[in-house]
Amino acid sequence: MAPADGNASGPGGGIPLLLSALPAGTRPVADVLLRRPLLFFGGKGGVGKTTLAAAVAIRSAGSGQRTLLVSTDPAHSVGDALGLRLGNAASSVLPGLWALEIDPAEEADRYIAGVKARLAEVTPPRLAAEVERQIDIARVSPGAEEAALFDRFTRLMDEAGAGYDRVVFDTAPLGHTLRLLALPEQLQLWIRGLIGRRKQVNVLGRMWRNVAGAAAGDTRTDDPVLTALEERRERFERARAALTDAARAAFVFVVTPERLAIFETERAARTLERYGIPVGAVLVNRVLPAGATGPFAERRRAEESPHLDEIRRRFAALALLGVPDLARDVQGVDDLRRLGSELFAAMPR
Amino acid sequence: MRRFWDGLRRRLRAAREIYEGLYVAPYRSLIYREYRREQDLFLIAGFSDLLGAPNPVAFYTLELYPELIEQFHAWHLRMGMPQAPEGGFRCC
Repeated sequence: MAPADGNASGPGGGIPLLLSALPAGTRPVADVLLRRPLLFFGGKGGVGKTTLAAAVAIRSAGSGQRTLLVSTDPAHSVGDALGLRLGNAASSVLPGLWALEIDPAEEADRYIAGVKARLAEVTPPRLAAEVERQIDIARVSPGAEEAALFDRFTRLMDEAGAGYDRVVFDTAPLGHTLRLLALPEQLQLWIRGLIGRRKQVNVLGRMWRNVAGAAAGDTRTDDPVLTALEERRERFERARAALTDAARAAFVFVVTPERLAIFETERAARTLERYGIPVGAVLVNRVLPAGATGPFAERRRAEESPHLDEIRRRFAALALLGVPDLARDVQGVDDLRRLGSELFAAMPR
Repeated sequence: MRRFWDGLRRRLRAAREIYEGLYVAPYRSLIYREYRREQDLFLIAGFSDLLGAPNPVAFYTLELYPELIEQFHAWHLRMGMPQAPEGGFRCC
């Protein structure tokens, strides 16, 4: 029994298997994976997000696009998958491919250092120690690192089409990632409110300067507070616009034919739909290859088959692509490159 | 002739001072109070965490603090606190 209809794989269960006919109107998967400037790989923990994201990023770089592979998972594994030591700044992996692992602690420290430097210019020296102590408290307050991570995330999204042609994100397991993707919308409201208030302050400041003349003292007309708020609002708006633009961004779910992974992924897909974030494809990882035979394989196939049916049923509107369970480990750049070529060579157009 | 113009100028200046004292000064202080009130509201909106109210953008408004430290100082003095409130930012 073949695990899939429309199976594009050859004998021996090569890569990959199209698990169902492409729903009408969907873009071919290869197009999504290799053309969208922003790609987000997400899924339950342990389903193979990092491996597939890295394989796609390497393939993308191989096709001549300057590609940046970014891990947003605080428990990073992109470096491990590539067999390289990565940091918070982009390192070159291959010609055309760079990678980095966002370090929320380093991001927060850098931000705090910037605030301290500005404060040092405006605080009287006798207060400096006290002010510094207060800022350090803010640094360890809950949410600080998440906020710093999110700030970096939006800056990196700006890099697609600027410093790089494409940015491929290997995201944290779903809960964390959904929150990250929902933040632009939620924070934007708050920041817009602050901007409205600040503009009101400035209107009255102008009126005050008009009636008070020289007595007003402060003649500054530009407002650094408003400028800083506007910069952040604009960046968050760009992030939100990019995330919801099906021509620019796609979320790619990685799922395994297992009950829990299917349930969690389906819930996440619904949440993304609510946020208006387009899902480009579902990669079903570790599908038993068609060529596997013998009693063990047959039993596994009997277990797997209802899960695959379930996946077809629940993600009927999406492009589904099976990635066979491999007999070999995928470890390091060369393995990943090979996986990427196999994946795309057999990919239905 | 020259004395006439000087006298006129003096009288006009006096008239303007009376006018300002009667009409502009109250208006001016009204505007100043409004201006200050808006500044306070902005501090509360941007730094509500310091007053114990949740502020999801507290980390992002931190960078505004250097620009606002003087206003914060003026605020707590006006609120009758000679020292900056405990738990919040320090300015004195």
